[in-house]
Amino acid sequence: MAVVLFLLSGLLPNGFGSDLDVARAQVLNILRLAVFLGVIAAGQTLVIISGSEGIDLSAGSVVTLTAILTYILVNGANEKVLLALLVVLAAGALIGFINGVGITFLKISPFVMTLGMAGVVTGAIIVITHGSVTGKVAPIMTRLIARPLSPSLPIPNAVLIWILFGILIWLLLERTTFGRNLFAIGVNRITAKLSGVNVTRMNLLTYSLAGALAGFGGFLLVGNTGVVHLQLGQPFLFPSIAAVAVGGTLLSGGKGSYWGTMAGAIVLTLITSLLTTMQMPDSVRRMVLGGTLLILISIYGRQRALRQ
Amino acid sequence: MGESLSARNIVKHYGGVVALSDGNLEVRAREVVALIGANGSGKSTMSKVINGVVVLDGGQLLLDGNPIHFPSPQAAKNAGIATVFQELSLIPQMTVAENIWLTREPLNSFGQVDRKAVKRRTEELLGLFEGTYKTALHPDASIASLPPDEKQIIEILKAISFNPWLVILDEATASLDSRQVQRLFDLVAKWKEQGKAIVFVSHRMEEIFRIADKYVVLRNGRTVGAGNIQDINEKQLIKLMIEKESVLGFLRGGAKSEEKIEKEVALEVENLTNDGLRGVSFKVHKGELVGIGGLRGQGQRHLLHSLFGDILYSGIVKLFNQEVRFKHPRDAMRRGFALVPGDRAKEGLLYIRSILDNLLLPSWRRFGFPLKVSNARTEATQVGSHLNLKMAGLDEPVSSLSGGNAQKVVIGKWLMRDPQVLLLDDPTKGVDVGTKAEFYALLTRLSSQDGKTILLYSSDDEELIGLCDRVLVMHDGMIHTELSGNTLTKENLIGASLGASQGDRE
Amino acid sequence: MNRSRWEVFTRRQPALFALVLLVLAVAINLIVQPHMFARETLNSNMRVFLPLILLAVGQAIVILAGGIDISVGGIASIVNTVLATRVGLEGSPAEMWRYVFISLIIGLLAGAINGFFIAFLRLQPIITTYATSFLYAGLALFILPNPGGGIPGNIAAFYRNSTPLHLPLAFYVIAVVLLIWSYLRSTRYGNFLYAVGGRAQAAYETAVPVTWVQFGTYLISGLMAAFAGLAITMLSGSGNADIGAPMTLNSITAVVIGGNALSGGVGGVAGPVMGAITLGVIQNIISFANIDTWWETLVRAVIIVVALAAPGIVNLFRRRQP
Repeated sequence: MAVVLFLLSGLLPNGFGSDLDVARAQVLNILRLAVFLGVIAAGQTLVIISGSEGIDLSAGSVVTLTAILTYILVNGANEKVLLALLVVLAAGALIGFINGVGITFLKISPFVMTLGMAGVVTGAIIVITHGSVTGKVAPIMTRLIARPLSPSLPIPNAVLIWILFGILIWLLLERTTFGRNLFAIGVNRITAKLSGVNVTRMNLLTYSLAGALAGFGGFLLVGNTGVVHLQLGQPFLFPSIAAVAVGGTLLSGGKGSYWGTMAGAIVLTLITSLLTTMQMPDSVRRMVLGGTLLILISIYGRQRALRQ
Repeated sequence: MGESLSARNIVKHYGGVVALSDGNLEVRAREVVALIGANGSGKSTMSKVINGVVVLDGGQLLLDGNPIHFPSPQAAKNAGIATVFQELSLIPQMTVAENIWLTREPLNSFGQVDRKAVKRRTEELLGLFEGTYKTALHPDASIASLPPDEKQIIEILKAISFNPWLVILDEATASLDSRQVQRLFDLVAKWKEQGKAIVFVSHRMEEIFRIADKYVVLRNGRTVGAGNIQDINEKQLIKLMIEKESVLGFLRGGAKSEEKIEKEVALEVENLTNDGLRGVSFKVHKGELVGIGGLRGQGQRHLLHSLFGDILYSGIVKLFNQEVRFKHPRDAMRRGFALVPGDRAKEGLLYIRSILDNLLLPSWRRFGFPLKVSNARTEATQVGSHLNLKMAGLDEPVSSLSGGNAQKVVIGKWLMRDPQVLLLDDPTKGVDVGTKAEFYALLTRLSSQDGKTILLYSSDDEELIGLCDRVLVMHDGMIHTELSGNTLTKENLIGASLGASQGDRE
Repeated sequence: MNRSRWEVFTRRQPALFALVLLVLAVAINLIVQPHMFARETLNSNMRVFLPLILLAVGQAIVILAGGIDISVGGIASIVNTVLATRVGLEGSPAEMWRYVFISLIIGLLAGAINGFFIAFLRLQPIITTYATSFLYAGLALFILPNPGGGIPGNIAAFYRNSTPLHLPLAFYVIAVVLLIWSYLRSTRYGNFLYAVGGRAQAAYETAVPVTWVQFGTYLISGLMAAFAGLAITMLSGSGNADIGAPMTLNSITAVVIGGNALSGGVGGVAGPVMGAITLGVIQNIISFANIDTWWETLVRAVIIVVALAAPGIVNLFRRRQP
């Protein structure tokens, strides 16, 4: 299904102009914008696959936090970039770990726990920044993320990074024990445990990883735009969940793929672009997103009927 | 009061699985019809069709000769049909009284529930089973705190509380002890006098011959026989239930218990205690196939799951004379244990995943990083053919398999690890007869030839007698009796299951 | 079965935990704000608490039946923006009444949409109401893109100042709500709620009209959200499309503090009401405790997470006992 949508979305830009070059530029534009949503939605994909109503509502604030941290730590110095990357990955993982602890040991539902943590992270951001942020992105980041690899290949590096990222995530899901176990706990935790999977450890790992991936998303985002503000990550949260759903991953867990999420991210970015082009206000964009998700889950999310 | 209900040519499938292809049943007032069939024959589906819980795909229901359709359980209730499930329809968080009267609570003039009337009528109902309760059962007890037999009794009381004319008892005696069963049968006799009709779904021969007037036999979703119970005997009924006699006549040729005792002790259990076990001790020798018997819910599942590291316990477990304590199934697996759980849909399989995923689940770690999936596929195919697994392909979802083949996947995933100790919880439940025979051969070969140690629980007495060297009968969380060789007979098994003391047997 | 006495007791009286917390919070508040019980302060506090209390009641009922409603904040926002734009600062009392009525219809409609998708199409409550929350929030933003508008000053003043019989207006509202609930609880419908929340499949097989019960709870939640929107509009006197957003998580927290199980089937309405008041009292304490403004957001968020974690922590200790 995601493939169909992807192809469909490929056709739409062509309707905007007969010029092939213009169309290609527009496709590239959409792709470039979709990268960040795609990376942020990676962690979301993992937690949703892990089942038990897994979701990560703290992703938006984690993105903002890590973007700000990068901004402050790097402060224009190339040498600090690697350090900043490690710090933000660790920060994201820590927040994810706390999420995991609350969900696994305190039995708080993932929705509520991650929503609560989102507030805590936002609060932490305010404490750290006191409302204003000073810092700068390092030139190497802009070079590596925003610019293309070479003039003859006018694809922004971010897209290439995303493709590489996608391959890594695919490897994780399909070619590691972790990935196989992830699908298993998404389908049936009891069977998984009785087949030797340490469900607790998987849970903690998954949410920590999701946090770290969101952190990576924030790093990339600030590298691309070069500016930060307190609402940087928030607009990506809902679309990240919608992207996963559009991409064909079951919201109940146990089945899905990151390629689907990538396609979903592209579709959603396309819709958002269209709305912006039509000069629709933010309110309409929200309604359309909400409505889209609603329609999607109506088709793909129906649970067992009471009567069979 | 209704007079008769007929079910003609009922067809029902769940997805790709055909549960009923030609189900027929007739029941009249003042008679008890026994609905008999092996596991997977369609018995439960039949009763669910009659009481409106599932929609029938074909065939017809006739009430007093008139065609009728039940669009919901409420419709069947309105027509005076009540069903006693195996305690599945109770709300654990609510009380006894609330559960019994749900949707039919007596009301006062303001539309509020009349609590006094509820209490009074609940106590009346509870009085019907007076003297058979283990706990002080009162209307405000919460269902979650009751033992399984009392939950079953509440199910029964709930069903008759609205004075139905047709009562379906679907394996209702499974959790009851002998006193409670007797009381239930006394009530059934009274109901017959009152003009009620009863459908008794069961596979317990002894009870069927005690209580039934007529019988209907289902096999593989079709009614293959019906008539008066006095015109038939147990052996003929069994013959109708199964296709091949050979399965039940299956006796292991070759060496039995005596020789095995000489071999080394593989598993030794001392005073195993936890929530479901009250001090279990026994020894199993290498290469032995030891059975666990007894009525369901006496601690068998607890024992197997504790040994596998799924449930915590106090006590000592020794594997080849070395003490072990498994805190997680992974620990048990590392020492060569395997567990085939009792409910494959809930505990043994990942239903929407592929056969390959299911077979490989405990074993992925062996295949390196990144996973060499082609090697995995080869090994999986090997196990599949070894077990004679009938599937369309490794990538098909396991939900597409029949019961017997699905169970093969569960066993297969463990065989891939070459376990030393196999724990099995009612492995042939819901498995067709041909596959059962294959399992028996497999288990026998694994213990006698390959020297694996097997501990097997079965609710089927014939199976225990035919397969096992020894049987440990469990009752109320402890091993009540050990039967082997000459003492391993059906009468002794049943007696020990019901808790009879040693002196009563011989 | 060995159930400890403590377990049986807390199962029967889930609101006890909420009561203890409330008393504790009030005690601390009294220390920081000694004149808390003076008539003016009490009135002022209670009307600030009222929107959340109303929201918590609706949320409690939805959660009891096994669902959850993330869109309540959005519904409250819609009501606020409708009143602020349609009635406006110059509106007449008649217009006010008319749009109050319309707001309630809006609440019911929004609830019906939720209920349709969840009860009839059998979608998961969390993700469905999350999607509709976006829909509703977007609609509120559409109606009122920038904060502004409002309701007539005299109506807002009426709400602010009325203290019939020297008790805050809010008290009467709460009393009415609790009375209605206690009647509801004593009917068959009350039992249906617990049955559906306890084990929906078993309830279905017992011929409880599960679908309609679930649908009904979303209607109730929508209606209560509309009332909450009304209350908050009366409180602030002006319009703001984001006004409902923070209330959603708070309503869930109030229900959890109130002793209700998030999985359903356990608890009542009195507990969540106390939980909502407790949350309000805690906000009060924070305001009076002279915490650095920059830290306020963080402190509030941490308190919510702790409150949500509390039942889990308590359970953890319970389970440790053999």
